[in-house]
Amino acid sequence: MKLNVDGLLVYFPYDYIYPEQFSYMLELKRVLDAKGHCLLEMPSGTGKTTTLLSLIVAYMKAHPLDLTKLVYCSRTVPELEKVMEELRKLMNYYEKEMGMEQNILGLALSSRKNLCIHPSVSKEREGKVVDGRCYSLTASFVRARHAADDAVPICEFYEGFDAHGKEFPLPPGVYNLDDLKEYGQTKRWCPYFLARHTITHANIVVYSYHYLLDPKIAEVVSKEISKSSVVVFDEAHNIDNVCIDSMSVKITKRLLDKCSNSITILETTISNMKENDSKRLEKEYKRLVEGLRDATIARETDMALVNPVLPSEILEEAVPGTIRTAEHFVAFLKRVVEYIKTRLRVQHVVQESPAGFLRDIHTKVCIDRKPLRFTAERLASLIRTLEISDLTDFSPLVTVSHFATLVSTYTKGFTIIIEPFEDRAPTVSNPILYFSCLDSSIAIKPVFNRFQTVVITSGTLSPLDMYPKILDFHPVIMTSFTMTLARQCILPMIVSKGNDQVAMSSRYETREDTAVIRNYGNLLVEIAAAVPDGIVCFFTSYLYLETIVSSWYDQGIIDQLQRHKLLFIETQDAAETSLALINYIKACDNGRGAVLLSVARGKVSEGIDFDHHLGRAVLMFGIPYVYTQSRILRARLEYLRDQFQIRENDFLTFDAMRHAAQCLGRCMRGKTDYGIMVLADKRFSRADKRSKLPKWIQEHLKDTNCNLSTEECVQICKRWLRQMAQPFSREDQLGISLLTLEQLQSEEMQKKIQQRAQGV
Amino acid sequence: MADEDETKEYRWESGYEKTWEAIKEDDDGLLESNVADLVARAKRKRAALKATGAIQLGMMRHLFVVVDASACMFLQDLKPTRFLCVLKLLEVFVHEFFDLNPISQLGILTTKMKRCEQITVLAGNQKTHIEALQQLKDFSCEGEPSLQNSLERAMNGLKNMPAHSSREILVLFGSLTTCDPGDVQKTIKALKDNNIRVSIIGLAAEVRICREIAKKTGGTYNVLIDDHHLKELILSQVQPPAVAGSIEASLVKMGFPGGTPNVNDGTCDSSADHAPAYCLCHIDSETSSLMGPNGYNCPQCGSRYCELPVECKQCGLTLVSAPHLARSYHHLFPIKPFMERSRVPDTAHCFACAKLFVEAETNVYECENCHQIVCLDCDLFIRETLHTCPGCASDPVTAQMKTN
Repeated sequence: MKLNVDGLLVYFPYDYIYPEQFSYMLELKRVLDAKGHCLLEMPSGTGKTTTLLSLIVAYMKAHPLDLTKLVYCSRTVPELEKVMEELRKLMNYYEKEMGMEQNILGLALSSRKNLCIHPSVSKEREGKVVDGRCYSLTASFVRARHAADDAVPICEFYEGFDAHGKEFPLPPGVYNLDDLKEYGQTKRWCPYFLARHTITHANIVVYSYHYLLDPKIAEVVSKEISKSSVVVFDEAHNIDNVCIDSMSVKITKRLLDKCSNSITILETTISNMKENDSKRLEKEYKRLVEGLRDATIARETDMALVNPVLPSEILEEAVPGTIRTAEHFVAFLKRVVEYIKTRLRVQHVVQESPAGFLRDIHTKVCIDRKPLRFTAERLASLIRTLEISDLTDFSPLVTVSHFATLVSTYTKGFTIIIEPFEDRAPTVSNPILYFSCLDSSIAIKPVFNRFQTVVITSGTLSPLDMYPKILDFHPVIMTSFTMTLARQCILPMIVSKGNDQVAMSSRYETREDTAVIRNYGNLLVEIAAAVPDGIVCFFTSYLYLETIVSSWYDQGIIDQLQRHKLLFIETQDAAETSLALINYIKACDNGRGAVLLSVARGKVSEGIDFDHHLGRAVLMFGIPYVYTQSRILRARLEYLRDQFQIRENDFLTFDAMRHAAQCLGRCMRGKTDYGIMVLADKRFSRADKRSKLPKWIQEHLKDTNCNLSTEECVQICKRWLRQMAQPFSREDQLGISLLTLEQLQSEEMQKKIQQRAQGV
Repeated sequence: MADEDETKEYRWESGYEKTWEAIKEDDDGLLESNVADLVARAKRKRAALKATGAIQLGMMRHLFVVVDASACMFLQDLKPTRFLCVLKLLEVFVHEFFDLNPISQLGILTTKMKRCEQITVLAGNQKTHIEALQQLKDFSCEGEPSLQNSLERAMNGLKNMPAHSSREILVLFGSLTTCDPGDVQKTIKALKDNNIRVSIIGLAAEVRICREIAKKTGGTYNVLIDDHHLKELILSQVQPPAVAGSIEASLVKMGFPGGTPNVNDGTCDSSADHAPAYCLCHIDSETSSLMGPNGYNCPQCGSRYCELPVECKQCGLTLVSAPHLARSYHHLFPIKPFMERSRVPDTAHCFACAKLFVEAETNVYECENCHQIVCLDCDLFIRETLHTCPGCASDPVTAQMKTN
């Protein structure tokens, strides 16, 4: 249908629209007009993706000069494919309505692993191996060698692309990963490089967060994207963690041992080259004298090693003299690695700032800050000169070089923690050096600065006001949309006590208490008896899950549970978990029913949807606080307090509640879906916790359902489930939660939508 | 219908409810009123479905009723227990079923401890079924049910029934889980291939597999709200369903046994006919006794039966009496659907029951033939019980036309 959104003609590819989708469009339009950033929360299953796409495409068509490109960042490959499907639907609709081909090019980009069509390389399973093998076939020196000697293997697809692909741009249309592969297959061009090349002039680019947030990759892939773009981060509730991870480095003993090996390889290669081809080393030296930036004439395939520092921070100076010659640099690397090794030989935990680390390295092994800063660039240059084609072995050394560069570039917002052993196994020596980023705004700052509009959206972003603080930006609009429903299809409840009136809580003091564990068990058994098909339970940690399950076993609760449903448990092993998931789905499908015990912040809580019968109920046992004894977390909390005036407790609660909301949201995947959400902890009913739940959950969490005992909870469930099982069709939704064009345009509805938009 | 008076349960018997909340929910305009609305609409839909005249109905039905007898049937959310409540309603159902479908047959199965047991075989004798149901009351409920086993069992019973009859299974399923030996999808496919329609009534909550089975085999799936709703759901199964597509039309050979001993017609040789004989329906049971001269003899082989309709055990002939056929007849010529009209103020009362329309009722129903206005309840009553429009019947002209 064609909509009029605040004066903008929007083609919407469906016959019906949810009222909140229309409000979402209104808000988004305002943000685009204002050229600012925004935070938008809308429940999952209400068609966020299609709303975003149809409005932004319409805006691009109406104002081609103001807005040239949409960059859509998603988390996983399946999500990426879903976005492409929606886009395809939208473009088909445009074509049908306008009656001609649309001049819009949209494509998805993923790693080489997902796009490679080389017959043998594409067989590899591991991303790193694919990257390495690709590099060994496409690096410029390999190709130069091939020109001299035909026996040197190269990739025919890359050659094809290099010879012809750049002159012929991809014709307009929508290309997902498979389409790209197919196109590459028919033209015999490399789809990966074709996609990377096309990014610069495509209208819509869909890829993973890391291509923008991780400075190592962003520099290579997203450098050329113009300022007048809109960037969308979907499912962005964990965006601060992604930012932090992309800037943090973890160094273990084993990694350092591998580094030493790589350094030896470097040494032998250098001495060999000195005998055979000393000219090349000289040439490199000269180039470095002239300045590094000019020297690296960007050859896209050579970019396998990149600088971890942000583009704006990259130095325009020449590489300092001490590390210009290859031998000196290798010796320098050796010293760095040895120094870190000695630092790892500690008996107690050390925490220091980057400045302290720099001073120490200066006094102990006489390494200055400046050469340290160039380590990453210099290593990349050396590896290029030495024509080492197998990069996979060098990844430990690259990690260390990144560390060196980062530690010498940033003095604020980072900390170094050296732990001699893990907290859980204090007798086993396992020293780890964490170089941890404390400030999530560092990685995302260039994104905010560079693009005119950044949209951060997710089903669960509450509490919204925390994100501008921790990401350090000023949104034009922050809005949380609720779900209009024809029937109350979520039933959130806070269960605070068992039938014996003992309070239920995962508080540290009571979590080992058998009465609490038994009450949790009884709650699960009774819910399992009353709720059909699938039930998903979330615990606060793997450790807690294990203790609870073992005492349930002793108390006979597991036996009782298995009378009603089969039991599956998520473990830290990904393969085991996916096997459990497959069987969980099977048990739900054929009516046996199943319970899945999993962990908040685990794989299940993040990426997997339990729609309809797969998740009729979600139980949250305890508040999923992050492990507060972790030193990295404590350092971050301190930093947040000092820099952003965020109290520790506020941040911890925020973090716990967003994960809880994320877990609860797993069971609601659309308006025809329905699910029970049980929050089993006394503390959830406190105002500071409750008010941090997303609005669309809060709205249905009545005061009377906030302090229930197990028995009351089960009674409410039973009654509610019977009501939900009554026939429910599209006609029931029409006019309330689903609108036709006429209904949308009716004055009454417009008024309601306006109110909704202003009310928040 | 007999227990209409005792349907209102005592306050202390009813479930744990917070009445003050119910009022609040109504204020929201969201929950309770909405559900009531849904139920009313479902009623209307039922009426509409029945009213569509053109469809062919399966008059000759073979139905297996599967009763869940697993541990969860001892729960007391239906009074006195789920199991007893269901049995009681089933008795009503069996009675109504044979009343409306005299030439159909019915069998009862139960499922517990992951197995399926046969209580009565497919037969057209309602007495045996009702007796069996009464005996079931002392039955203990335990273990898990098995949907697959019961469906397979019922399917084996139905598979060999003649193709012109409608084959159906009705499952009353209280459990939320099923313990099956194999892949239930295969069973669903087999059911579909055999043209067996499975309808399921859930007693607790929506179970995905049940919905799937019902959808794939063309049956219905409903979940009760309370015991009144359950009764409504069970009784809605009494009406013969529309024939699913490809049932072949065929001539069925039927026997009409001579009823009264006084009449000597050509179908039976008189002396043997009235001599005392064992009734074949009871000959297996221990209580079998010699029958008097009253009974029905199969016109083909002469076997004696105490009740009609029945399928002759000796020669397999379906024995019916003419009134039975006549009673099934109205299914074939249902009255036309009434038109839904928004209420105009000048029609103050329902033509059928003379009830005054209250403000809340927004819709009334009009007969296309006689243009009389009736209320929703009367509309349903006319359709389900009366099978004739009071307006048309009381109008001498139309009534004349109809008989002509």
